[in-house]
Parts: sequence; C-alpha cells; structure tokens
Amino acid sequence: MITVNGIRNAFWCAIAFGIVACASTPMPVAKLALAKTSIERAEQAQAAQFAQMELDSARNKFAAAQAAADEREALVAARLADQADVDAQLAESTARAKQQEQLVTELDASLRDLRSETLRRDNAGTATPEPAPQQQQ
Amino acid sequence: MKRIHPTRNLVTIAVASVLFGLASCETAPDSTAVLEQARSAVAQAESDPNVTRYAPIELDRARKLLTSAEGAARQEGAKDNSAAHYAYLTTQMARIAQQRAQEQVTTTRIKAGEAERQQILMSARENEANQSVAQAQLENIEAAQTTRGIVLTLDDVSFDKGKAALKSGSQQPLDQIASFLSENPERRVQVEGFTDSEGANDYNLELSQSRADAVAMAIIQRGIDAQRVRALGYGEEFPVASNASVGSRQLNRRVEIIVSNNDAAIPGRAAGVL
Repeated sequence: MITVNGIRNAFWCAIAFGIVACASTPMPVAKLALAKTSIERAEQAQAAQFAQMELDSARNKFAAAQAAADEREALVAARLADQADVDAQLAESTARAKQQEQLVTELDASLRDLRSETLRRDNAGTATPEPAPQQQQ
Repeated sequence: MKRIHPTRNLVTIAVASVLFGLASCETAPDSTAVLEQARSAVAQAESDPNVTRYAPIELDRARKLLTSAEGAARQEGAKDNSAAHYAYLTTQMARIAQQRAQEQVTTTRIKAGEAERQQILMSARENEANQSVAQAQLENIEAAQTTRGIVLTLDDVSFDKGKAALKSGSQQPLDQIASFLSENPERRVQVEGFTDSEGANDYNLELSQSRADAVAMAIIQRGIDAQRVRALGYGEEFPVASNASVGSRQLNRRVEIIVSNNDAAIPGRAAGVL
C-alpha cells in the first residue's frame, strides 16, 4: 500500500541519489571552460588561417568533450577537454609564430629595398654626372 | 620463523611477470609509441636554446607532463589509458614551447629590423637635407655639372684690370664654396684661371695663374685643407667665346672653380673636355 509517507521517502531518496550521483561524477566544468577560452584565443590569433589543423583538432575534441559531459562520462570529458585545451594553445602559438615569420619576411624585403635605394642614391651623387653643358667650342 | 619456499617464490614471480606482461601488452602498442614521441618532443625542445631562453615555463610544463606520463605508464592497468593521454599533452606542450620561443625569436628580429629601418630612413632624410642645402648653395652661384665635376665660374668683374687680388664683392661665392667643401670633405677643388687674347702670352699665363692662386688661397683661408685645392693658370687657352668683341673677351676673362664629383682627382683639361 502506498502511503504519503512512502511517496515522501521515495522523493527524498531520489533527491539524495541525485546529489550523490552528482557528487560522485563531477563534470569537468572548469576544464571545459578553459578549453573554450583557449579556442577563442586561438581564433583571435587567426589560427583558422595559420594553424587550421590544430584548431580543427581542438574544436572537434571540445565538441566531443561536451558530448561526453552530457553523457556524464566525466573522465572522458576531462581528458578531451585537456587535449582540446593544448591543441588550441598549439594552434594559437603556431598561428602567432607564423604571422611573425611573415612580418619578418616582409620587413627583410623592405630593408633590402631601402638599402639598395640608399646605395643607388649615394652613387648617383658622385658617380653619374650629367653630360657637360656647352660652354666651350 | 616462517621461511618461504624458494620454488614457490619463483613460481609467484613467474606468474606475476606473465600477468604484468599481459597487462602491458594490452596497452603497449599505443602508449609506448606515444610515450616515445613525447620523450623525443621534450628532448627536442630542451636542445633548442631559444626554448630554454624564451619559453621556460612551457618547457617546464612539458617536463612535468612527461613525468606524469612515465608514472602512469609504470603503474598503468589495462583499462586506464592515462599514459597515452599524458604523453599526448606532453608532446603538444613541447610543441607549444617551441612555437612560443620561435615567436619570441622572430619578434626580436622584427624589433632589430624596425630599428634598422628607422635608422636608414633617418639618414636618408638627413642626406636629402644636406643634398638640398648643397644644391641651394651652388645654385646661388650658378654651378654647372660636368664630367670633371661641378664648375663654378667667377667672371672678370671679380678682379681689377691686370690685378690678381679678388674684389671684396667676390667673397660671398667663395664662402659658399668653402662651406660646401667642408660639408663634403671627400671632394677636391681645382681653380683654373683664363684671360682673353689681348696682351702677351707670358703675361696672360702669369696673370691667370696669379688669379687662380688668389682664389685657391681664399678657399684655403676659409679652412679647407690645401691638399684638396689646386690652382692652374691657362692664359689665353680654352676660350669660351671668340675674343673678337669686347663682350666675348670679357667672357673669356674668368676663373673657373671645379669641385670634384667624388674623392678622385680632377682630370686635366684637354681640348674639347670641360
């Protein structure tokens, strides 16, 4: 026979079970947030253009981590989040390094131009006189 | 005292080894390979002096992750794949360290290049300014660019008839030439005197030489090293006009000052060459 007391007990039991379940498998919320931030930083560093492979890997793992968290697979979610985080960091640092490399290449080229222009101008001042004007026959 | 039977002991060890072997076999192909990769990634980062210099924190993280990976590999059960996980994190962290170090190295190069660029631009602007000052100075006294150099002509109004001394009105162009020469210390100057065809040859030669000397002396007195100054008298030679009229004779009575284009000696005068 179901009594009010019985229902109440069952209710409390359910709540208690829920709390225990939650406590026993804490979802890696902080790790997921960290990975998300790292991915955003990588995106800001134009990783989509300069480190696409690493960024894709980070995004895929982050999505998988979220899915695992939804399935309450805490360990898998934590590991995937950690891996997504380092992938994103690698994407960001690779993108930055490549952009700096590009800058240095451009700068080197402009320095080369500048140097040769200066050289040309210096030589022009002393070595290439105009033809003599007619001042004498 | 209880003594363990040696044979039983050996059996225990054998069984343990087999079990351990089975356990490691199950994870070995995966985790040893990635662990090896992680070790070499860390070793590679460590051998790069730029990493130890610019990314020590990341390198330290990679080392700690490698320690975790090694630790996990030693006590790993068959189900837990944490060694492979930490090995992966290690490899990625070592790569991050290298990329960050690379970024720093390039940033340093960019800073140096930027400084050099500024330096070049600045000296170019300075050069331009000097050049335009020199040009302005020489334009004032009507300089002509020739293969021998920049030629400035002082007409005979600069001298009294038959005299070598420079009139006071002729001092200004000499000031300008002297200041041009002190700003361009590599350049030399040659002063050449000429007369018209009136009068004796010897007299004209001597007069043209004296006038050239007077101008050269005036330049030297303005602080130009005498080694850079040469004076030559050509008399009636190399006329610039016919000598047939008063006007043309006046044109022929002159002193030409040639400033070299560079530090080379000014070529001598020959017919047809200015």
